[in-house]
This record gives sequence, structure tokens and C-alpha cells, in this order.
Amino acid sequence: MADEKTPAAAADNPYTQTHTVQSGDTLSKIAQKYYGDASLYTKIFEANRDQLKDPNRIFPGQKLRIP
Amino acid sequence: MKKLSVWLLAMLAALLIAGCAGQKGPAEQAVASAESALASVRDMAQKYAPEQLGAVEAQMQSLKDSMAQGDYKGVLAAAPALTDAIGKLKDAATAKQAEAEAALAKAKDAWGPMSADVPKMVDAIQSRVDILSKSHHLPHGVTKDSLQAAQSGLSSMKSAWSDASSAASSGDYTTAMSKAQAVKDQATQIMQSLGMSSS
Repeated sequence: MADEKTPAAAADNPYTQTHTVQSGDTLSKIAQKYYGDASLYTKIFEANRDQLKDPNRIFPGQKLRIP
Repeated sequence: MKKLSVWLLAMLAALLIAGCAGQKGPAEQAVASAESALASVRDMAQKYAPEQLGAVEAQMQSLKDSMAQGDYKGVLAAAPALTDAIGKLKDAATAKQAEAEAALAKAKDAWGPMSADVPKMVDAIQSRVDILSKSHHLPHGVTKDSLQAAQSGLSSMKSAWSDASSAASSGDYTTAMSKAQAVKDQATQIMQSLGMSSS
């Protein structure tokens, strides 16, 4: 049980929450929803580096891990 | 007439003494046999049927007391019931031992998936708590109290998980599973309080 979670650990963890991207979503909006703070969008970006190259480019239907 | 009565009484007394002496050997054998039978099941009974063992030990002591008092007839009368009680004690202890072994095997099988599962739940909660601790505002449905409860819950879950792992390492999978299930239940409750269900 690590105290600091890495993106790789989040990817392997079936208990990491997921969010399916809807039209109009941004990482900031998603961070606002799950963390109450839009500025924490980088946490979501880092946890999904395997499928996101640019934090400004997400697509409806993408399933993002929410660490 | 008086001489005849004395002679008859003497004869009766001699017959009685001879009869008692004749019962001593079988009575001694009955006590020894019961002691031997009880000794062969005592350890198992102590572990799996201690209350029943206590009752049988009391019966055994009563038989020995009768023997010490020279009540051989009483010993021979009580011995079959004690033998029967020892047989039932053995059956009960054997059944409970089988039950305990089956429960242990079941717990051992369940430990594998559980030991892989629960640490991941705790890791997911730790990750969320770390992030929410940096947030300027908490998300809808999550309160300061629930975040604090999750933080203290993480500490207690890690401690309980350590206990569960130690129990499993020592082969006590029943205790390990009981503790692990408690951690899993707590983790599930914390995940709900932090709104960690997927959408």
C-alpha cells in the first residue's frame, strides 16, 4: 500500500474511479466535478498519459481514470 | 437356635465380602478402561469441545471417587454411561474439528483474491485523499468531515490489514479473512463517502 500513487498504479487498479468523457467535457471541468478544484486537472492528465497526449484534447467516449 | 442364627449371619457376611471382592477386579478394569479412552480424546476435546469435556471429566472423577470408597457395584453400574459419554465426546470433537478444518480451507482459498483486492481499494482511497487534501474546495457530496474520516480510516485500515497479513502468514486464515473483510467493508464505506463510484 503505497502512500503516493503513481499513474501506472492507477492504471492497474480496478478500484480507480473512471469517467466517460461527454461532449463539452474538459479535464478542468472533470477535475472540478471530482475534486472540487479545476486546477487539479493535471492529476487526471498524469493518470491517463497512456491515452492523452495533450490535456486540451479529450474526446467523447474516452474512459478516463480519476485517481 | 441361637447358634444357627450366628452361623447363618456369618455365612451371609462371608458371601457378601466374597461378592464385593469379586467385583473389585472388573471395577478397576472399568475405571482403567474409561481413563484410557478419555486420555485418547482429551487433547482434541480440549480444543473442539471443552464444555462437553468438562462434564465427562466430572463423571470420570465421580467414578474414581466411588472406586476409592470401595463402591465397586456403583462403579460397574456407572461405567457404561461414562463409556457412552466418552464416545459422544469423541464424536462431537471430531465433527467440530472437521468443521474447523473445512472453514480454514475455505478461508485459505478466499485469502488469495482478498489479499490482492483490498490493498488496491486502500491505494485508490489513499490517492483520492491525497488529491482532495490539496483541493481548495471539496466536490459536491464530500464534506470536510467525510474527508477527515477517510484520512483516519486509512490509518486504521492499514493497521488492520497488517494484522490480517500477519494472521495469514502464521496460517490462521480464518482470523485473516475476518480482519480482511472488516477492512474491505470499511474501504467500501469510505469510497462511497468520497463519491468514488464510476460514472
